[in-house]
Amino acid sequence: MSIEPAPALSLRGLTKRFGQTLAVAGVDLDIPAGSFFGVVGPNGAGKTTTLSMATGLLRPDAGTVAVLGVDLWAAPETAKPLLGVLPDGLHTFDRLTGAELISYAGRLRGLDREVVRERRDDLLAALDLEDAGGTLVMDYSAGMTKKVGLACALVHAPRVLVLDEPFEAVDPVSAGAIRRILQAFVQTGGTVVLSSHVMALVERLCDHVAVVGAGRILDSGTLAEVRGATGDLEGRFVELVGDVRDQRDLTWLRLS
Amino acid sequence: MVAAVVGIRLRTAWHLARREWWRALVAGLGVLWALTMAPWLVWGQDALARQGGAVRADLLVGAVALITVGWAVLPLVLSGLDDTLDASRFRALGVSARAIMPGLTVAAFLTLPAVFFALALAVLGMSWRSSGAAVLAVALAGLALAYGCLVMGARVSAAWASRVLSSRRAKLATFAALAFGLAVVAPVAFVLFRDGLSAVIETDVDLLLERMAATPLGAGAAAPAYAAAGDWWGAAWRIALQGTWLALLHAVWRVNVAHQLVSPWGRGGGAHRRHDRVLDPARMHVRPRDPATAAVHARLLRAWTGDPRYLASLAGVLLLPATFFVLVMPVFDLDRRWSYLVPLVLAATIGWGRHNDVAFDSTALWLDVVSGRIGQAVMRGRLAATASWSLPLLVAVAVATVAWTGAWVDAPGLLGACVGVLGVSLGVAALSAVLMPYRAPAPGASPFGSEVGAVGAGLLAQLVSSVVLLAIVPFVVVPFVLSLTVAPVWGWVACAMGAALGIGGYAGGVRAAGAVYDRRAGRLLAAVG
Repeated sequence: MSIEPAPALSLRGLTKRFGQTLAVAGVDLDIPAGSFFGVVGPNGAGKTTTLSMATGLLRPDAGTVAVLGVDLWAAPETAKPLLGVLPDGLHTFDRLTGAELISYAGRLRGLDREVVRERRDDLLAALDLEDAGGTLVMDYSAGMTKKVGLACALVHAPRVLVLDEPFEAVDPVSAGAIRRILQAFVQTGGTVVLSSHVMALVERLCDHVAVVGAGRILDSGTLAEVRGATGDLEGRFVELVGDVRDQRDLTWLRLS
Repeated sequence: MVAAVVGIRLRTAWHLARREWWRALVAGLGVLWALTMAPWLVWGQDALARQGGAVRADLLVGAVALITVGWAVLPLVLSGLDDTLDASRFRALGVSARAIMPGLTVAAFLTLPAVFFALALAVLGMSWRSSGAAVLAVALAGLALAYGCLVMGARVSAAWASRVLSSRRAKLATFAALAFGLAVVAPVAFVLFRDGLSAVIETDVDLLLERMAATPLGAGAAAPAYAAAGDWWGAAWRIALQGTWLALLHAVWRVNVAHQLVSPWGRGGGAHRRHDRVLDPARMHVRPRDPATAAVHARLLRAWTGDPRYLASLAGVLLLPATFFVLVMPVFDLDRRWSYLVPLVLAATIGWGRHNDVAFDSTALWLDVVSGRIGQAVMRGRLAATASWSLPLLVAVAVATVAWTGAWVDAPGLLGACVGVLGVSLGVAALSAVLMPYRAPAPGASPFGSEVGAVGAGLLAQLVSSVVLLAIVPFVVVPFVLSLTVAPVWGWVACAMGAALGIGGYAGGVRAAGAVYDRRAGRLLAAVG
């Protein structure tokens, strides 16, 4: 009898309320180790809140998170080193240069000075940031900030990568480089969890998908399972979350 | 457009008050305080009305000048200015400075302090009613223009200070401003120390008020005295001077608004650095060995030398001790040994000033939070960065103070007390920064900006950390006071006890704050974001 490996991320009854708003309403989700997992959902569905709770950035009101079987909120010193995180829409320490920011992330993880130096240079080269390594992050474009954020998530060689909108504002060439890095990461046994609004991207990269709506998991499984009979992720997504209710005619746009 | 812009200002205030109840409470307390001041204002008006015209004008000129300087300086060092209508928020709307300026101008007068001062100056201006309707009209016009100047002056000083601090020459500009401030107050202090307060009041204050009455600081308030004496020409040109100054301030503010509409804040100007100072820090006397502590230390040192928000607080901590030395000591003709308060107050203000330290990271804090259970390392690195510049500064100021008094026997006690106060206050501040963080200006935003009602935003944190410090600091300072009043041998006790308490307070603060940081890691981000 073979023993099932622990899921890369296991969320149980995860709940978060902001005032009157129930942002996440008891999410249960297992993300298999070694999978390329896409989390999709409309704006305000609770994706970022769920991922924040799953990575230790936001304490849940209820529920548990386990990273490769380790309880994140009970044993963060064991669970957090397993995770690499790229949040969306948060500041970075932008008075550091790109190179310094990667070094900072590496040193925070307790890595040796020389190991950090080597990995920093590798990551700057792989993400096409070599020339911008000495520039302050505050002078970076949105795409460059995303790339240096990804480098920070990778520098300590985590086992599970949780990336919130990693391709947003990134140019096609850099997106290709990021895709290759992530695919190689999964091929060597790592797990990638990414959230995105771009269905084509999720279909192209991910082997598992969860659809989130109104703070709940509406469907999850392999890409084929979620697509179902429609065979089209976008169609299934609209079917699950519903289309725009008021499809108003904006002809005045063409008349002005 | 005016109605639209003012509408945004009022609606934002309303929404914020509904979302966070304490804002309404703070505003309510502000209004209550203003109402309690009303009888005093009426009493003041009555007292002014009973004075002769010249004395009344002198008192009003002094008051208006003081208030004007306060309005220009306080937002820079203490409260910040409401930035609901920060011009950069209009950038994406494609509006011109010309279109939004009228609305911004009206909105600048619609803050609680602005409304209070308008009423206060109007009440005090009515003290001229006994001199006839024409003089009263001149008085009200002059005070209205002076009032306009103080509100505009605050906008201009905050806007231009932010602009200078966010430039590449921020560090140079900060120290140039400090040097300029010192150059301005040094002669005043020299004269006060040389002649004493009473002599200065007899000879210099009259002269000073007369001079101020011919400058934008007091021209408007002085005008009715000239009108009452029949010198209508003297009154007219003073009103004209005050009006021109108001127009000039408005124009300067407008230039800044126009600049903000097309220039993003807080860019690094393409600065390029060859060295990775996180991996290879510059040689320092403090060099933490633990990788995470060293990284946080290196990052904070970079902030202390380049981030406008830190540079602004650096300049701010010097205000209280400098004021004490330059104004309070000579004015009250204190014994030279009172100057020992300067390094002691400096130590306390440096420490107290860090009571919201963690919030300065804003949401960039996520990188520290996801990196493990490293609260101890984070707090150790943060405090070490502050200590690495503040300790040498304090020692230098303490030695300079002792050199000034010439009583070298007091040196060990003073040094010990300073180290004690700094260590304890940094420890208390570290704990406050993780227990009661409140929103600080975000990275890249104006260091002098604040949200509606933000004067009260950190009220609880500020109050609690002040009370705790006031309760602890006297114990640290007692042996030093005994060395001055009972026997010099207490100085050595103060030295040993100060060092022990300072190190204990610092280490205890780091340890406790680190533990709280880890426990609250999942809430800190929401608290400061």
